Amino acid sequence: MKLPKMRRSLVLLSSLLLVSFAGWCGAAEKSPQSVQVTIRSILAANKSDEFDPKLKGMEQQLKSLKYRSYRSLKDESKTVPWQGTQSFEIPGGRTLTVSPQEFQDNRIALKVRLTEHDKPIVDTTVKIANKGNFILGGPPHEGGALVLSISATAP
Amino acid sequence: MTNCEIIRESIGSWLDGELSPGESDSVRAHVAGCGACDEVRRQLEKLQMVLKDELAGEAARIEFMPFWREVQQRINQKRPWHQELRDWCRDFFTAPRIAWSVPAVIALVLALFSLDSYVPGWRFGGARNNFAAVDSIDAYGRSVALLRENESKTTVIWLYQDQEGENEAAEDATKSGPAF
Repeated sequence: MKLPKMRRSLVLLSSLLLVSFAGWCGAAEKSPQSVQVTIRSILAANKSDEFDPKLKGMEQQLKSLKYRSYRSLKDESKTVPWQGTQSFEIPGGRTLTVSPQEFQDNRIALKVRLTEHDKPIVDTTVKIANKGNFILGGPPHEGGALVLSISATAP
Repeated sequence: MTNCEIIRESIGSWLDGELSPGESDSVRAHVAGCGACDEVRRQLEKLQMVLKDELAGEAARIEFMPFWREVQQRINQKRPWHQELRDWCRDFFTAPRIAWSVPAVIALVLALFSLDSYVPGWRFGGARNNFAAVDSIDAYGRSVALLRENESKTTVIWLYQDQEGENEAAEDATKSGPAF
């Protein structure tokens, strides 16, 4: 059975519009203007069994570190332009400098530098999933260890 | 295909009244001005006339009552659900509805691929790959452990403060480190 010409054109037009819309969405995803970077500072220790309710969403991630207690110290979010740099004050006189490098395959490349009183502790470049995070931990703090959850979201 | 060939393909439909008014006018105008196509029209009309006469003669001799009874019986008969479902599927998946399924499938695929933007953590029903890829790392002489935890798909970079001159208390706190 043949489709009437008018209906055939309508179907073709709808398909074309959908494909164009998909292309536009794909292009839009590839060129976000900036990145929302969130740093969550957490104190991991073995002095008690306290688990801060504010960290509930990260419970599974933190449990892999095998400490007994986890307490949220500070949360900070900043918008950082691509290739730009933002500094986050971290408890213990430390500073975390984050610079988003590129956005590819829904993953964000971040250049991260942790310093303590202007002395560099670590420099790393990490690719994380958009809206994902990674954990940087280890520096001693208040009898425990400082754990930083570094997440990034490209809108 | 030449214009005459196209018109000849439509003459049968035109004579049966199956064409739109515009198409009928077009065929009529062509046939009026084309002797060859008019000849095709005359032959088709003659064939139709012969068939009509023949069938009318045959029909007079056919007993229709048993046929109509059978039809009536089939109309009143309740069909099983699987047969109705099969008929519905056949109607649904044959053109022209199948044509609409093309943009519908495109829309569905687009929706599936963009769902992750609206429902974070969702990806075709499975856990999202949250693993971070560490391209480079410089810990300025400190020891570093890299952990990839499968259950939560988390990447952990752990720094050990084992450099000379570090604060001893701090060292105690972290020397044991996390038991990965």
